[in-house]
Amino acid sequence: MIRVVTDSTSDLLPEEALRLGVDVVPLTVRFGDQQYRDGIDLTPDEFYRRLPTTSVQPSTSQPSPQQFAEVYRRHVSAGDSVVSVHISAKLSGTLQSATLAAQDFAPGAVSVVDSASVSAGVQFLVRGALTDIAAGVTHDEVVERMEARRERVSVYVLLDSLTYLQRGGRIGRAQGLLGGILNVKPLLRVSAEVHPQARVRSRQQGIAKMVALAAAQRPLESLAIFHCGAPELLGLIEPRLRVDHPGVEIFSGQLGAVVGTYSGPGGIGIAMLRAG
Amino acid sequence: MSGAELGSALTLLREPLLETGGEQVLAGLRGGLAWLHANQEEINDLNVFPVPDGDTGSNMYLTLRSAVEEAQAATTPSSGASVLAAAAHGSLMGARGNSGVILSQVLRGLAQGVGGRSKLDAAAWARGLREASDVAYKAVMKPTEGTILTVVREASEATSLAAEESPDIVAVLEQGVRAAHAAVERTTEQLQVLRDAGVVDAGGFGFAVILEGLTRAVADPGSAHSPPSSPRRRLGENRVQLPFGGGGGEGAAPSAPRSSTRRGAAAMEMRADGWGYCTEFLIHGPGLDADALRVELAALGESALVVGDGDLVRVHIHTAEPAPLIALASQRGRLSKLKVEDMSAQHHEVLERADAAEAASSPPAQQATPDAPRKSLGVVSVAPGRGFRDILDSLGADSVVEGGQTMNPSIEDLINAVRAARADSVILLPNNSNVILTAQQVDGLIDDIEVRVVPTRNLPQGISALLALEPDSPLDDNCSRMSGAIEHVHALEVTRAVRDSTVNGHSIIEGDVLGILDDEITEVGQDEHSVIEAVLRGVEETPELVTVYSGAHVGAADAEALAVGLRTAFPATEFEVHVGGQEHYPYVLSLE
Repeated sequence: MIRVVTDSTSDLLPEEALRLGVDVVPLTVRFGDQQYRDGIDLTPDEFYRRLPTTSVQPSTSQPSPQQFAEVYRRHVSAGDSVVSVHISAKLSGTLQSATLAAQDFAPGAVSVVDSASVSAGVQFLVRGALTDIAAGVTHDEVVERMEARRERVSVYVLLDSLTYLQRGGRIGRAQGLLGGILNVKPLLRVSAEVHPQARVRSRQQGIAKMVALAAAQRPLESLAIFHCGAPELLGLIEPRLRVDHPGVEIFSGQLGAVVGTYSGPGGIGIAMLRAG
Repeated sequence: MSGAELGSALTLLREPLLETGGEQVLAGLRGGLAWLHANQEEINDLNVFPVPDGDTGSNMYLTLRSAVEEAQAATTPSSGASVLAAAAHGSLMGARGNSGVILSQVLRGLAQGVGGRSKLDAAAWARGLREASDVAYKAVMKPTEGTILTVVREASEATSLAAEESPDIVAVLEQGVRAAHAAVERTTEQLQVLRDAGVVDAGGFGFAVILEGLTRAVADPGSAHSPPSSPRRRLGENRVQLPFGGGGGEGAAPSAPRSSTRRGAAAMEMRADGWGYCTEFLIHGPGLDADALRVELAALGESALVVGDGDLVRVHIHTAEPAPLIALASQRGRLSKLKVEDMSAQHHEVLERADAAEAASSPPAQQATPDAPRKSLGVVSVAPGRGFRDILDSLGADSVVEGGQTMNPSIEDLINAVRAARADSVILLPNNSNVILTAQQVDGLIDDIEVRVVPTRNLPQGISALLALEPDSPLDDNCSRMSGAIEHVHALEVTRAVRDSTVNGHSIIEGDVLGILDDEITEVGQDEHSVIEAVLRGVEETPELVTVYSGAHVGAADAEALAVGLRTAFPATEFEVHVGGQEHYPYVLSLE
């Protein structure tokens, strides 16, 4: 049997992961000397409640290779192989830990795939692999199809401000979006790394842009929307997407604590998978 | 004896004037300039909106002054055609505001139409004015009757008829002047906005004054020194005295510069330690390299304006030490029109306010190393006030030209800023409806840089456009993205009425607070807060974000108090407060 492993930045909820039979390896969030396993000891809701009032800025760290090795060993010793898909290697060291852990197993036992994406973008690859596995394709084919599907994924996030991205040192190419004196809401595209897409002054303008970006990529196989501690924002975009993409399933969720450390609260995002 | 009476008398007694050479044409241009100067403030006051932004007179004056300066340096001073060609070129470089740009097109048409003759006869003048009218109409995308266009056309028709009857240039031009003034008189009835405001068209009146001054000076070179100074166009005055025999002489006392709010604007830009010396001169060729000279001379001062061609380069630099600058320039060519002025003294002169604006507008980017590689796309923006300038800078504008409501930048200012951006293509954001036409002239005057104008009518639009910039995307993409971005932002400008008026059914009394939403006066009230609140209540869709830009004379506490009040009144809207630093408008708000 082929098992799928991912990490907590996929924002797959524990109960959903359990239902799907997918292992989620947590990253770590730290507030000062308090450590939390992302999504286990600290839910997104708790995290976003705490974020605006905390005096110490949270920091994050990737899982250790040991954490991955334990999961892999469990499956491999049961006679299964593993496809392990993770947050973009340009955004986190998670993939590196997974790759290190995979080296201790026989060739072909554990395949590690860089999603080049984050959150719901990773989920598309997880769900796609599960469909392929159910259809009975081989391990290598699951990996190949995942790598092909990766090219059809795009993720956009409209942040309330660049403050947290900048503070977390992850601003990278999005530097150009800095609004200087004015408060500017950056619209980012996550494709391997964080790219600047646009800067807008109001959320409505940013949402309109995301809706237009999604419309331009029609037909879509799948859509997901997610928020950063502000579920009411989903109501601003979901009806418009339903109109533009009738019959397309729309997942919704929340960006977890690790990525939330860099997005800050008040953001809204959209992930889409173009039809193949 | 006053100039007007002298002129009238001369009409009857003098010999017919059959041809005019370069000296007479130059005298005529100077005469036009002098008459325009005397009427400048009067023309400024002919503003359809009762808001403090009337500057048609100043714009036309500065444009014509630039024309006369070039005409004085014409390559063949004895040739009428050569002097007019130089004037046309000068006016184009110095054109400011819509009226200035149209005036420059009138001069261009005039220069084209008279032909290449050294001595211009009456038929040549008539042809020139006809061509002036044609060129001016073509310069405007939607020509409107009741404007300077009508006045130029009617003047040209009258001179054409007169030229068929008479070879006497003065008689022919006098008919043009009469027709021009009569046409000015009718503009009030031709345009609803003029009728509502009870004024004649400012640009049209300006042209009539220029033609009158020119005609008088051609007829009698002495008359140029005694232009009329009493207001001829007072509000509510229904009748105008036609020149040449209509009776009623006018006083000849030089008109004192009026105290003007604009002066405050210029003075604001002055540094505590002064500007040093404003140094201006011409370098005569042949074989000059204006670009190389710009680089060389800019290193010795600030705010270098260096324009021209191989034969003639005009230099305007602010420097602490003029001597080394002049020494260097004199090695490159023969110098003329050398002028060195202490700029702190200069600031007190009405004329030099504009020079100060040029100084303030010249961006520091001009001091960039000359061989620094050009980037592919740059943005040049126009803004009044330091606050707006800083905001545009922070959003990625390569250079910001000082100017706007009452200080329209010249084409030359814009050209210099475009060059300073050091890019292969440049997007120009005029940020004021009176600057759009000026900005649109720039592309035709620069060969090696592709210049596009995104017609932003106000600062909120300019800021939205700049936010949409993607420096790595192609020029066309950026232009359409920026044009799209400005559709979603509304601008609310708040000012005080400068006179009584009726606009859009609102009775306005001098001192009333006016709320101008997207160029329309929509609310009139007694204080800024209630006017802003009323406008916001009236907009169709409650804005999500309102950015308040406070003016130069608004304290931070007042602006914050306004925002606090507005937040209470509109809990669903976010209010952000920034310093705009603009004159005349205590508040500019963007609604999005």
